[in-house]
Amino acid sequence: MAPTLEIIKKQQTEDIWDEPYFVNMGPQHPATHGVLRLFLELNGETIVRCDPRIGYLHRGVEKLSEFRTYAQDMLLTDRLDYIASAANNVGYCLAVEKLMGLEVPRRAQILRVIACEMARIASHLLWLATHALDIGAMTVFLYCFRDREWLLDIFEMMCGARLTVSYPRIGGVRMDVTPEIIDELYKFTEEFPKRIPEYETLIDVNRIWLKRTKGIAVVSGQEAVNLGLTGPSLRGSGVPYDLRRSVPYLIYDELDFEVAVEFEGDVYARYRVRMKEMREANKIIRQCLDKLSGTEGEPVLAENAPDLLMPFGKIKRPQAAPHPKKGYVVRGVELPVVPEGEVYVATEVPKGELGFYIVSDGTGHPWRMRIRAPSFVHISAIPAMCEGQMVADLIAVIGSVDIVLGECDR
Amino acid sequence: MSQQGIFTRVFLLEILKGLSLTFRKLFAKPVTVQYPEQKKPLAPGFRGRHALVRDPETGKDRCIGCYRCAQVCPAQCIFIETERDPETRKRIVKRYEIDALRCIFCGYCEEVCPVNAIVLTEFYEYSGYSRQDLYFNKEKLLQNWDEFIVTQKRPYFNPFWRPRGIPVEKLPAPKRKAEGV
Repeated sequence: MAPTLEIIKKQQTEDIWDEPYFVNMGPQHPATHGVLRLFLELNGETIVRCDPRIGYLHRGVEKLSEFRTYAQDMLLTDRLDYIASAANNVGYCLAVEKLMGLEVPRRAQILRVIACEMARIASHLLWLATHALDIGAMTVFLYCFRDREWLLDIFEMMCGARLTVSYPRIGGVRMDVTPEIIDELYKFTEEFPKRIPEYETLIDVNRIWLKRTKGIAVVSGQEAVNLGLTGPSLRGSGVPYDLRRSVPYLIYDELDFEVAVEFEGDVYARYRVRMKEMREANKIIRQCLDKLSGTEGEPVLAENAPDLLMPFGKIKRPQAAPHPKKGYVVRGVELPVVPEGEVYVATEVPKGELGFYIVSDGTGHPWRMRIRAPSFVHISAIPAMCEGQMVADLIAVIGSVDIVLGECDR
Repeated sequence: MSQQGIFTRVFLLEILKGLSLTFRKLFAKPVTVQYPEQKKPLAPGFRGRHALVRDPETGKDRCIGCYRCAQVCPAQCIFIETERDPETRKRIVKRYEIDALRCIFCGYCEEVCPVNAIVLTEFYEYSGYSRQDLYFNKEKLLQNWDEFIVTQKRPYFNPFWRPRGIPVEKLPAPKRKAEGV
């Protein structure tokens, strides 16, 4: 960074502005969606180079998880992408269940899909609200928060928390839903499709919105794949890759929904994809509610699911042969064992592909847990997307790839 | 440019469309709540301030000192100290403390407690001037319960004490037939 410092010094002492100059955007900039610092090299108002500096929200989630049991690690995943925490929980639980070979009851699977899709709508609503606010549309912000509030209330009824829900647990979900919650969800799915046109009336044809978003940061499908984009950012470039469809997990293969794809690859296309996805998510919740009535009274936790109070250390294996289904018996108490091995499970969260890679050494805690966070990859794509654009468009670019720094820095 | 194009350009039709929507919302029912005066009803099972259940029969807490909550707590914010009564050889809970500033409100403690002694109450308006104010000892936790239970319908039963839809055999025996307080 020595030449950079020299140029800055020169610019401060002498009145020379023909050389590129350097600006720090963030880490406390309201439009960086968290504590992201972008080091910009500018030529006039055009971005020559953009260099994201991350790590301001690093809490060491991956390392912390090695010192907690599997049940306790699930609570750390709440705090990754705190806007859609239910989706993260489901991804983690699926990984551990695959490692243990657990079969989750059908009712719990349906409830998980409902929680995932509720989180998706809530996340996209918050994204639309803040993205529109960054670009200059204040009213959409208020309308989106009105509807997100409704979803958070339903989460509160389901599991007692609004943001860090920790609704699933290994082998099922924490709690069954009550008839009131199902009624409220039916009401929501009735009402929400009428709310989406409201946002679209406000911004979809608004000429300021169109000028700020159309043709900005165009990424072709090939480039998007090369950059490692996933989720709506990839589908906005015309690549119909959705893990819910290509690698179905839970009950997604039984559900009827479309993969939202747009082909322009600009900021506007990514916005259109997310609007379509909200409609599809609403459809999915509706179908799940219909399926839920067929599983009335069934348990929501697998029979051989581990307790919340899991042993941390190496489980001493007694002389007796292991129970074929339930694991090992220690002092008369049956303990399911997380076997040695490694597993990678990717799920489609609102931001993109969230993967959990867990290496287990047979103890009650992961030997290593690696999180493949979509936000981290998306931030690394920002420099390629914003080079040659104006500084003001950088705000639109940051918004359009939908990043959450809690997930990126972990 | 087509005739319609000029028309929309001059009269800002799309802006007017948006404005008509916001104008209509002027007469809609407000969704905001005037918070300190009005309050939103909380869902049962909301994970708020901690409390130790005061048993209506004995007037004391129900804790048996099994350390399960302290063990399951992912934030390690529960501190328990027990000793044996020299005569009856029964376990006495000498110290039961919760550091509310460390707590992440996951609700694991109330779910694993075999005697439903601890609860995360549906009470969220609390604050303190120092860290000590939010470090609850046993007396404070029982006081939290007294403050909370007067606002509730009796008998009170927290959904996390026996989560809905969990198979009975997964629960500890005293929890299966537990009743409200």
